Amino acid sequence: MSPSYDELIRSDRVHGSLYTSPEIFADELARIWYSSWVYVGHVSEIANPGDYVRKNIGPQDVIMSRSADGEVHLLLNRCAHRGNLVCEADAGNSSSFRCPYHGWTYRNSGELLGYPFPEGYGGRGKLDLGLGRVPRMAVHQGFVFGSFAPDGISLAEHLGDAAGEIDRLVHLSPEGEIEISAGWLKHRARANWKLLAENETDGYHPQFVHASIFSVAESGIGALYSEKSEAVTRAFGHGHSENDLRPEFRRLGTPLGWFGTTEERMPDYVAAMRGAYGEAAQEILVEGAPHVMIFPNLFIAEIQMFTIQPLAHDLTVQHVTAVQLKGAPEMNRRMLQQCVGSVGPAGLLLADDTEMYERNQVGVAELRPEWLDVRRGAHREYVDERGLTVGGATDETAMRGFWSHYRDVMA
Amino acid sequence: MLPRIGIVSNEFAAVAVDVDAAANSPRLRLEDRRTGRVRYLDALELETLVWLPEGNLRQLLDPSADRWRDG
Repeated sequence: MSPSYDELIRSDRVHGSLYTSPEIFADELARIWYSSWVYVGHVSEIANPGDYVRKNIGPQDVIMSRSADGEVHLLLNRCAHRGNLVCEADAGNSSSFRCPYHGWTYRNSGELLGYPFPEGYGGRGKLDLGLGRVPRMAVHQGFVFGSFAPDGISLAEHLGDAAGEIDRLVHLSPEGEIEISAGWLKHRARANWKLLAENETDGYHPQFVHASIFSVAESGIGALYSEKSEAVTRAFGHGHSENDLRPEFRRLGTPLGWFGTTEERMPDYVAAMRGAYGEAAQEILVEGAPHVMIFPNLFIAEIQMFTIQPLAHDLTVQHVTAVQLKGAPEMNRRMLQQCVGSVGPAGLLLADDTEMYERNQVGVAELRPEWLDVRRGAHREYVDERGLTVGGATDETAMRGFWSHYRDVMA
Repeated sequence: MLPRIGIVSNEFAAVAVDVDAAANSPRLRLEDRRTGRVRYLDALELETLVWLPEGNLRQLLDPSADRWRDG
């Protein structure tokens, strides 16, 4: 029997068992990961007909493919015969997939094309089988989402105002598109996935956890997450949230100040942006990239993109890549370098976060006190002109938005 | 023989591709790297492949079409 989520999730605190219980994790798979919209991949990862990549929806292994007609498919990586994995490579190009176990062969759109020695089945074309399919798929600005629920709210309803943050990201490209082409790093964390999701827009931790990278890089980012900062934390509803740093960047008023550089050092990029967007380019270049967590698994951290893959109540894989802007090679080189420096194998940012996740997972299993506190800044929240709840730069507004939505879908 | 063009491979198959100059006109030499089996394709055969309707190619990809047929 499921626990009472209303009991475990209060407005100012959440119960530790939410992070440590295998039963609750099983509930989450059913009610969140296999019921709501989950980010899967980006169309640029399968740019050519025949391209495919292995992706995931939680523990489910998903093949995202592009068939000869250009259509994108989300297929489950499981042979209809004996359930073997059909694709093993992380990426490839093939019009057909052949299971290595008994040679059953599928089109990259999922239809069963044939099987060896067909008389054992009464001849060719006798089996009404194929690869499983994620029932619903929808795309926003090239971001492909899937849902195991055959019916339910549309992706546009799910994203709500958070869609605007994806739009802001793609507008940093003079061609209005991003490309996910830098390759993926995978970091395994012995921690519950929600510790990661909550941390992504927690503006309270950077000055502590990331003090070393801010110091080494002589970065001003730490100051954006302080009590004096005019940046805000915003809950978008449906569990999505952002750290909106634009008030600080607007105050600075310098194009590319958000990226720690200047117009003069990126002349080709700035020229391309002004050519593409005219007067609007100034605002785009000043305000920079979003810092948004799209429930439950997509985190855009300005110049890098994370996906969160839960595998067990205490095991999560973080997939991370550098965002690449179409038509902006000058920016892309720097974004890749910064990504490697912050979240690469020897990166200084994610290693610190992951240390906290794993310590946190051990800590929440302690018996007393039973609760985690999420009240920070509740007394100074307000509702903005879009009807969204906003808190200070270091307030836990995003966490409260996360848990409010979580309680709704788990109840 | 001319230099090897390359190996066309994915996780399902790997085929070495050369242009063979030993015959009276150049022809493509294809070698299945997993079995060593070799096939030559001349220019007209290649042109035929270029014009082969998608459905015909699809039939050939059925594992029971030839390689793993009954009897």
